[in-house]
Amino acid sequence: MIARIPLAAAGLLTAALLVPSAPSYAADAVAGSAIKAGLTARAADNPVSEPGKFKKPCGWVIGMSDFGVNANTWTVQVAHESQAAADREKCIKKFILLDANLDQNKQVSDIDDLIAQHVDAIIVQPVTPTSADAAMERAVAAGIPVVLHTGRVKTDAFTTEIQGGAEHFGKVMGDFIVKTLGGKGNIWVLRGYPGHPEDINRYNGLVEALKGSSIKIAAEEYGYWQYDKAKKVCETLYLSNPNVDAIWSSGADMTRACVDVFKQFGAKIPPITGEGNNGFFGLWIHEGFKSIAPEYGPDQGAAGVVAAVDLLEGKSLYKHYDYNPPGWDLDKAKKYYRDDLSANVWWPSQLSEEQLKKFYGKK
Amino acid sequence: MRQFFLDIVTGQRSRQGLWVLPLLMALAIVAFLTVRTGHMLRPDNLLNLLAQAMPLIITAIGQTFVVLVGGLDLSVGALISFSTAILALGGPAWILIPAVFLLAGLVGLINGVAVARLNVHPIIATLAMQYIIVGVTLVLRPVAGGSVPRVVIESVGGTFLGLPMQVYWGVVVVLVAWKLLHGSRFGLHLFAIGGGVASGAEDAAHNVGVAVKRNVIFAYVASACFAAAAGIFLAGRIVSGDPTVGNGYEIYAITAVAVGGTQLSGGIGSLHGTIIGAMVLALLSNGMTLLNVSPFVQTAIQGGILLLVVAMQTRRKMGL
Repeated sequence: MIARIPLAAAGLLTAALLVPSAPSYAADAVAGSAIKAGLTARAADNPVSEPGKFKKPCGWVIGMSDFGVNANTWTVQVAHESQAAADREKCIKKFILLDANLDQNKQVSDIDDLIAQHVDAIIVQPVTPTSADAAMERAVAAGIPVVLHTGRVKTDAFTTEIQGGAEHFGKVMGDFIVKTLGGKGNIWVLRGYPGHPEDINRYNGLVEALKGSSIKIAAEEYGYWQYDKAKKVCETLYLSNPNVDAIWSSGADMTRACVDVFKQFGAKIPPITGEGNNGFFGLWIHEGFKSIAPEYGPDQGAAGVVAAVDLLEGKSLYKHYDYNPPGWDLDKAKKYYRDDLSANVWWPSQLSEEQLKKFYGKK
Repeated sequence: MRQFFLDIVTGQRSRQGLWVLPLLMALAIVAFLTVRTGHMLRPDNLLNLLAQAMPLIITAIGQTFVVLVGGLDLSVGALISFSTAILALGGPAWILIPAVFLLAGLVGLINGVAVARLNVHPIIATLAMQYIIVGVTLVLRPVAGGSVPRVVIESVGGTFLGLPMQVYWGVVVVLVAWKLLHGSRFGLHLFAIGGGVASGAEDAAHNVGVAVKRNVIFAYVASACFAAAAGIFLAGRIVSGDPTVGNGYEIYAITAVAVGGTQLSGGIGSLHGTIIGAMVLALLSNGMTLLNVSPFVQTAIQGGILLLVVAMQTRRKMGL
């Protein structure tokens, strides 16, 4: 009986070797850095698309379903970056940018419309983690490559995705606070939009960073990622109890608002987290408070177009690309800051000098 | 004869309001898009348009009941999100769907009692209700997700006898609304109540024996139930519950009602006018997409065209 066990094992091994396995194209896959600086292919469980599967001759029509072009200054720049990247690529005959205007129902129609127009590739920025799933499944079923970015989905029906980790974003800021305060103190937490997955995941990153420390959240309020709403929140918090050791802010516009409140009351600005925004950089450089700027560049829009182009050129792409760069310190912020551009520019950007001045020039 | 046609086009002396002008505008948009894009009248585009417009059509029809009595319902958008959240809780459809309508009816009842019995201004009453529902929905479903019953998904995305289910949704909703508004005493009373409100004789309907408060309450219940139906449709379309999916629908619905010729002061309006108003909004959106108009200017163009249509109605008719 015992002698039979090695024999059975050998039999199973032989059978396993004879069963054809899925071919791996990892050696041919495009590296993350070739799509955008700071991108890396996920280490595990990351299939690669078949070379040449989506290859088509020049003259492509690429459609993009944007979750909301005019939601804020960052989303406006994502649209500009996407359009500019498409304009740079000579093989793209037409780039169709559709704005869902934060309407889940419209996004489903937008994607269905792109499928009906038989576009060569579809880029999707989902409004929510589930609302675009069924339409994306229809696109994949129609044989159209789908590139997903700046928003996760529940479905597996996409060809490749580029995702900045919201938890990573929140943790970078949380780690900065833990380090700056030496692991103890009271903080305010300025959150984004109630129920928004980006807000929840950034907050989860903060919670993760605070684990094991003695830092207490003295106040937690929603500023809706907006300057005016965050300013009201910070004014109220300051007037109720100005003794705060640091502020974790989920977005740069809210950071600018809170900094302005402390300036308005003539108080010392506590350590406060920021973001890669030109207006915030200017404030940081001029006021000299302690901060960190996690990176979530609008040039992910350009990266989506590059990925779609790679697929139509017949290249292999990984299914998952992660975008988790380290936070920016003051020295790096100084290198990017442009006094001649408005506060509404976000970094890093792939817009040309001419486009930056056209869209964001102060003059 | 000339006066007759003039009256129809301008909505003069009509209880159904100024609906011919938006109809002509809708037809003009369709004709323009057909010539410019070539695929406006393609079946897949028309079905896409219908699916896109359906939640707004349903919500706007409900809003019409309230507007006809001189009120407004700002809670419908939140109620749509709430309905999707309930449907995505997981459970059998035969429990969840009645539960959605029951809860919506309760919301409408509270709105109606606040307005009719407690004399709270409709904007204040329904705005307060909107906040309450938004809060409850976020507790139920902080982020989009959950499991919508299969039957709901198929009732929106499937086909029956070769026709997409959206068509059946449209037929059923219109039949129910038509019966309520133009085929029942309830509908007649709404026009009577609103006519009195608009002309400053608020007791006129009461003086001829109409139960004003009861009918106003029912108008808010109807509005809420139609919003719930829109929520069910959306849950099937996005295959999930979503705490933000209804955001903005209250404004779009009121806009559709106004564009369709219903007087916001009450008493004058029609079901077909509201449907036309909703279709004009959907056509503008669909047309921009077909024409590949830059998203940066789409909103401005839409706003300008809507201003033009609503400006055709005199200030007295709008009641504002």
